[in-house]
Amino acid sequence: MDVLLLKGAAILYLVGAGAFIVYAALPRDLLARVSPVVLLAGFLLHGAALGFHFFHLGYPPVTEFREALSLFSWAMVGVYLLAQLKYRLAVLGCVIAPLAFLMSLAAVAFGPGGGELPPALKTYWVPLHVTLAMLGNAVFTLAFAVSLMYLIQEYRLKSKRTTALYKGLPSLETLDRLNYVFLVWGFPLMTLGILAGSFLARAHWGDYWSWDPRQISSAITWLLYGSLLQGRVAAGWRGRKAAFLTIVGFIVVLGYFLWGSSLFPSRHAGSFE
Amino acid sequence: MDKAIVIVGLNHRTAPVEVRERVAFEKAFLKHALERLRSLASVDEGVILSTCNRVEVVAAASDEQAAFREIKRFLVEQESASAGGGNLDEHLYAYAGDQAIRHLFRVAASLDSMVVGEPQILGQLKDYYLIAQEAGSVGAVLHRFFHRAFSVAKRVRTETGIASRAVSVSSVAVELAKRIFDRLENKTVMLIGAGKMGQLVARHLQRNGVSSLMVTNRTFERAVEAAAEFRGNPIRFEEFPRYLKLADLVIGCASAPEFLLRPETVEETLKQRKQRAMFFIDIGDRQNFDPRINEIDNVYLYNIDDLEAVAKENLQGRAGEVRKAEEIVDEEVGGFLRWVGSLDHVPTIVALRQRLEEIRQAELEKSLRSSLKELSEKEKQAIEDMTAAIINKILHAPISRLKRPPDDEDEAIYVEALRKLFGLENK
Repeated sequence: MDVLLLKGAAILYLVGAGAFIVYAALPRDLLARVSPVVLLAGFLLHGAALGFHFFHLGYPPVTEFREALSLFSWAMVGVYLLAQLKYRLAVLGCVIAPLAFLMSLAAVAFGPGGGELPPALKTYWVPLHVTLAMLGNAVFTLAFAVSLMYLIQEYRLKSKRTTALYKGLPSLETLDRLNYVFLVWGFPLMTLGILAGSFLARAHWGDYWSWDPRQISSAITWLLYGSLLQGRVAAGWRGRKAAFLTIVGFIVVLGYFLWGSSLFPSRHAGSFE
Repeated sequence: MDKAIVIVGLNHRTAPVEVRERVAFEKAFLKHALERLRSLASVDEGVILSTCNRVEVVAAASDEQAAFREIKRFLVEQESASAGGGNLDEHLYAYAGDQAIRHLFRVAASLDSMVVGEPQILGQLKDYYLIAQEAGSVGAVLHRFFHRAFSVAKRVRTETGIASRAVSVSSVAVELAKRIFDRLENKTVMLIGAGKMGQLVARHLQRNGVSSLMVTNRTFERAVEAAAEFRGNPIRFEEFPRYLKLADLVIGCASAPEFLLRPETVEETLKQRKQRAMFFIDIGDRQNFDPRINEIDNVYLYNIDDLEAVAKENLQGRAGEVRKAEEIVDEEVGGFLRWVGSLDHVPTIVALRQRLEEIRQAELEKSLRSSLKELSEKEKQAIEDMTAAIINKILHAPISRLKRPPDDEDEAIYVEALRKLFGLENK
């Protein structure tokens, strides 16, 4: 049932992605209004899938890789819809909707790991840790999207190529402000997620910090985003530099999330088989 | 109902300016002219449009050919009221039906304008429509026709780039400023030098919301003069680098032999501004700003050549947008023609009768199968007859009202209301 719902959500994300991309090519008011609604429908369906899965398992579905991926994309779409309410940035959907589609598709494709959660991990620290981390990731994904748009818009203005598709992009000032807004929201979420994670590490591995690759990569991104935020507030970093660092940070997060554990074996596995 | 939409008039392509001037209607006398127009036997509703590029009469008429003749005569009389004249006929065009619909839609969407895409025509069209409405010469048909034309214009404006493409240097500057800055209301402009182009750009920026302006000039008196004109603040030329940090947009239009600003100065300024973006517009006879300024982060420098290149590119891009706009107009003409067709009362009456009959049959069958199934055949027949009679009685008044020859121009309102109230739209 939940897989079926998830498939439905993935299809709606795909439709939403198509609508957003068509909107970018030929801006019609109707599309700008309809596309977020399609995405919202996908979001609700996806939420129902997660709910069913939770009910079925008896504990929050956050322990397998595909579950984390599913939660990640769900949170991302949710945060985007919230941002859309406030800032009316349909173009942002051109990045978020396709990503949501790919991620939920991957979540479907991976299929259940079948592993039973070790009893030691059946504590509420796990869902808390994963939810905070995924919410943080979701917000950083949006920061990544606006930064990408910033760089495109900035490049066109600097190189004086101003025509074509990108006239629908928001102004540099707006994009830069959004980068800050998302950073301010994402950083505390990430910090809390890491704290919850270290409590979990203490409970499960016996120590708050044990030089695990996962912990190291988290620390790197935390430092990266932290110094970016600090630079923005204190030293007036903005514009291209801020956008660039946001993108680097996101690549580290995503990279480790997707491949890291296979390159640097960690006890922090995506699944518990 | 038999109402044709006709348009008779002339525009910048069919008539030279002297002729257009002679036919033009003065706004003060428009009400009177509309009364005369309505007194024509064939004209039921009328709107007169009179701008410097066109004079047109849009009418809903009972007889197309008669309306052409009468409106032409009406315009000839208007011309002969002023000196000169004659041979107006050869400048006039006359459209009816789908041609007339297409024509007004194209006019509203600024596809028929001398400068395609210029936005003023829509406002003018609305003004003249309102005047006619106040004069009581607009009925259901023209009401719907004009409002549809306004919405076609809006669609064209939002769905094509026809109006959004800046084709003058100063509008390109504003467009670029809007891509850098969120809004211009809280931005400050510094105008350096007294060149004409610089003033033009400054004025354009002010019209787009910029409220704060500084002016500087080698001759302080000229800075004071210009500042008064722009309601800005004059600044002594020696001091302008100190004030630079306050400026978000800097327009350079001085004719100095050397660069007014070097990258080092701008970098320093940017530090003081905490890296908030700056937009430099260099449009003097000579280069005012060192081109290397553009390489600094968060700084954008455009000179006159850059701006002109964008303007030229936009002008070329317009051709494609015009094609898109024409497609939208085509689509809308079709839709409007269907609406005009639906105003015919015959199909409406048929549909209404059918709708009520369907309801009657369904309810009758339901009752006869359940609560009334004990009745005898005779009694059933009586109920059948009675319900049919009720329907006929109810329909009698509205149908005879619709069938009566139109005695006032609002007949279309009844037909449309009926279609909406009874949900006959799709029949």
